[in-house]
Amino acid sequence: MMLHVKPILSSLMRNKTGPLLLLVQIMLSVAIVANASFIIIERLSLMQRDSGVEETQVFTFNLYAFDTDTDIDLDKQRQRDLAAIRRLPEVIDASTINMSPLGGGGSSSTFTVGESQETSQYAPEAPIFYSDEHLVNTLGVKLIEGRNFYADEVITSGGEAPTLVLVTQVFAQKTWGDESPLGQIIYMGEWGDYPVKVIGVIETLQGAWVDREMNDNSLIFNVPMNGAFHKYVVRSDLDNIASLKEIIPALLHQDEPNRVIKGFKTIAEYRQSAYRAHELMATVLGMMVILLLLITSLGLAGLVMFNVGRRTKQIGTRRALGATKGDIVRFFLVENYIICIIGGSLGAILALQLGEQLMQLYSLPILAPIYPLLTFLGLIVLTTIAVIVPAQKAAMISPATATRSV
Amino acid sequence: MFFYYMDLGWRSIKKTPYLSLLMVLAISIGIGITITTFNVYQQMNTNPAGERSTQLFAVQLMSQGKDTWPDINAQITYQDAMNLRQSTIPTRQIAMYKTGAAVQTGDANFQPMLENIRATDSDFFDLFSVPFIYGAPWDKSIDVDAAYQVVIDADLNQRLFKGENSVGRELYLNQMPYQVVGVIADWHQSPKYYDLNNGPFSDPESIYVPLSLAPIEEFESWGNNQSWNTENIRNYQEGLHSETHWLQYWVELESEQQVQDYQAWLQAYVKQQQGLGRFERDDARGEVSDVQAWLDFNKVVPEDNKILVGLSVLFLVVCLVNMLGLLLAKFLKRAPEVGVRRAIGASRLQIFAQYMIEVAMIGAAGGVFGLLWAWMALSLLTSRFKLGEALTQLDLSMWIFAPMIAIVSTLLAGMYPAWRICRTQPSIYLKSQ
Amino acid sequence: MLAMKNVSKIFKTDLVETHALRDFNLEVNEGEFVAVTGPSGSGKTTFLNIAGLLEGFTQGDYFLDGVNISNVSDNKSAAIRNEKIGFIFQGFNLISDLNLAENVEVPLRYRGFNAKERQRRVIEALEQVGLAARMKHLPSQLSGGQQQRVAIARALAGKPRFLLADEPTGNLDSLMARQVMALLENINQAGTTIIMVTHDGDLARRAQRNIQIVDGQVCDFSLYQGQDLSATKEAHQQVNIANKPVAV
Repeated sequence: MMLHVKPILSSLMRNKTGPLLLLVQIMLSVAIVANASFIIIERLSLMQRDSGVEETQVFTFNLYAFDTDTDIDLDKQRQRDLAAIRRLPEVIDASTINMSPLGGGGSSSTFTVGESQETSQYAPEAPIFYSDEHLVNTLGVKLIEGRNFYADEVITSGGEAPTLVLVTQVFAQKTWGDESPLGQIIYMGEWGDYPVKVIGVIETLQGAWVDREMNDNSLIFNVPMNGAFHKYVVRSDLDNIASLKEIIPALLHQDEPNRVIKGFKTIAEYRQSAYRAHELMATVLGMMVILLLLITSLGLAGLVMFNVGRRTKQIGTRRALGATKGDIVRFFLVENYIICIIGGSLGAILALQLGEQLMQLYSLPILAPIYPLLTFLGLIVLTTIAVIVPAQKAAMISPATATRSV
Repeated sequence: MFFYYMDLGWRSIKKTPYLSLLMVLAISIGIGITITTFNVYQQMNTNPAGERSTQLFAVQLMSQGKDTWPDINAQITYQDAMNLRQSTIPTRQIAMYKTGAAVQTGDANFQPMLENIRATDSDFFDLFSVPFIYGAPWDKSIDVDAAYQVVIDADLNQRLFKGENSVGRELYLNQMPYQVVGVIADWHQSPKYYDLNNGPFSDPESIYVPLSLAPIEEFESWGNNQSWNTENIRNYQEGLHSETHWLQYWVELESEQQVQDYQAWLQAYVKQQQGLGRFERDDARGEVSDVQAWLDFNKVVPEDNKILVGLSVLFLVVCLVNMLGLLLAKFLKRAPEVGVRRAIGASRLQIFAQYMIEVAMIGAAGGVFGLLWAWMALSLLTSRFKLGEALTQLDLSMWIFAPMIAIVSTLLAGMYPAWRICRTQPSIYLKSQ
Repeated sequence: MLAMKNVSKIFKTDLVETHALRDFNLEVNEGEFVAVTGPSGSGKTTFLNIAGLLEGFTQGDYFLDGVNISNVSDNKSAAIRNEKIGFIFQGFNLISDLNLAENVEVPLRYRGFNAKERQRRVIEALEQVGLAARMKHLPSQLSGGQQQRVAIARALAGKPRFLLADEPTGNLDSLMARQVMALLENINQAGTTIIMVTHDGDLARRAQRNIQIVDGQVCDFSLYQGQDLSATKEAHQQVNIANKPVAV
């Protein structure tokens, strides 16, 4: 390929505007495509994260007891409800829960840890689940160290502070590093207030907020929520979920009719709504990238086609002087590669600049340099395709064109 | 001459159909994407308060303790809400929060419904200009001496009372009887600026009850309960006296003077509370924000949207540069014809006008197709992502805006090629080669 | 009617200065038919471009109808071209995607005539060249001679005071060339001044007056009627010197 780059270059320099426009277009395209695909990948990887829950099997629903009769023991009633639900043949397990994983709203808190008052420090903020010994099995989360609560360890009289906790691996790692979390104490409030002992470690469990970094730090306490308004969580086979939405309200109304039971939703459905904004962003950006590449390559092909038309005679003359068809195609390729390489390089720099700006203005991570690089390579491929088609046509121009006056 | 240029433009477009199509495609996709993202942005960025926007102010208090929350919170405590009511400066003022209850009628067969409720003061309706179909707000005296009265919305009125004038009728909230005093029209503020807790595009509540009933009926807060303090709250009454933030507070201030007076009053209030051992921070203060400032403070337009608008504008620029290149190539090829026209007596301006009109025609076609793409993209996004219709409805202004930016931006892109071609030196092209 | 006084045109590039016209003097009277000849590169085309206001010049004065138009604006010169001058080119330069009537109509459009007036003049001009019946045809459907006649019709449609023709028969065979020439003579007889650049001696001789341009200067052969016009360059230069001994 000792191709005559120099004459091509000087011809480009003479016709400045056209190539310059192409250059600007390529530059901007690389900048946009690199940043857009970076954001897409970032969002997709967010969406890939594991919640730890058997999402398609687990659903939650809300109960609101509105009976003014204050003699009703809501705690007892909850136990009766859950026992009845667990007896259903379709149900694998059921429990009470204060928030739906990936649900968007719920409880979180910060705790104090440490050997003494002086060395005490805050543990990372964590989503908090209040439940009983059935939650681990109901959600389908994996207990990898220690043990679950025993039934008699669950504190059922409302308003009491918890005493035992299951922590996620991530929380343990962030709080105690390589030390074993089992037997460690966390304090709800200042050091010394309401000590809670770690008895088990869960592999993965996400809280309600997919956009918060602390979402992987979940904790489960041995105190079910108590009150007029609460949530149950049920695990069942996929096929039975629809029918359970009918069966369960009927079952629970038999015990106590004065309550509203609604809001059946699987964790998979929560996932869908939780990541909707990200999916939307990825979709729109994806659309943008595809269309941008389409327009840029069509524009490039259109320009080459035009140049072929303009240079018919010149090409004929070259052919007459002994240029092969390959030479003609290469001529156009080299011409556009020059523009593409300069534009692409400038575009890559612009992409990094744009990424920097986006990072500063918005909560985006910094653009990884691999993205502009890959975009740049993709662009070379695209240029080749966009140029080769019209250039092939140019190569078909007969050498006789040179001798014919137009 | 205009129609002559249109005719010439149309011939020129027809003469290079693929190239013209390519240009229309590029510009329309650019416009389509820009309109799509801009439309969603616009919908999120609207200020539904309209002209009232500068008279309505959200009140915030930096009441938290040292080394707790770094920023001023969007909500306030119940005790502060009760204290703020003492000020006589605002024309109107209200405290409120979102709650909910089971709704029943006297009919035993009626299946109880769980409805969202707003517990607020009588002035809520006038302050936010809520239109009534029947009746009126409860009397102001009820804000102090609680009574079981409600205002419901037209939709609930339809479901409970078949849309009849239900003023004076009864309904049950958590089995307690309430008397309907007013029915409001369909009133949907988007974004729901007066309470952004459950998302700026959530639905309004269907029932409004006096806030004065909260301590009696112990309505739970269904919005955010935020606490910086580690106090142990065992029951509802303790919650009322705690440092938990769960109420929104709005005031109506009609003049600059009134705003200044109220700010001074808030400052004095903070001082007074500091005397009582609250508001420990050095930067403890009260703040008021009008509706626009409030929407900005709460970041109602998500960052993603701003990024999308920015990228789509860049995208449009690429489409325009693309078009500029194609136009330049196309126009320069026509230089011989322009040479003839110039020789025959066309002025530069006439040539420029001829080509700009051709560009404008391509731009107009691009705008129309762009609008079509935008409409398709929005319908697609709506069905795919279940976005609220409020967000993805093509704003009326877009029907004018889209062709306009299409034409203006293509004219900008076409200016250079048209200028180049109108500068054609006629003599060069007249000699036959 | 047309007068050029000491007109010079210098093309400058970084390396060389080329004098396309130097101290060019010429006067053409109303109703004349002037043929301009000269070897390639002598400045014929530059002269024609300047006469037609398609190009400016470096020095001197140009009077058209007694008005000095040496430094008129681009707009003004476009208007003058439109109203007073008709152009006929060697390559016809018809606009290929306009039909005959539309081609002839172009100058009338720029003049701002209304549709009725335009139509009247288009038909009149096309009748004059004998092509009114084919006015809806495209130029590509015509022979070269017919195309040139359309070009003449286009030049005539605006009723210009004088026509500038650049090798009008250069691309035509001899039969068609004669037809076109006859047409030009008719037009001249009807009162239109014509300046025609040609390298065809036979055609040139049919004009009332012959001018030869050599090295950017003029030798007026009306004084030397009957002389051989295909003389060598040296001979012209001698004549030139004899004519104007002062100017070198």
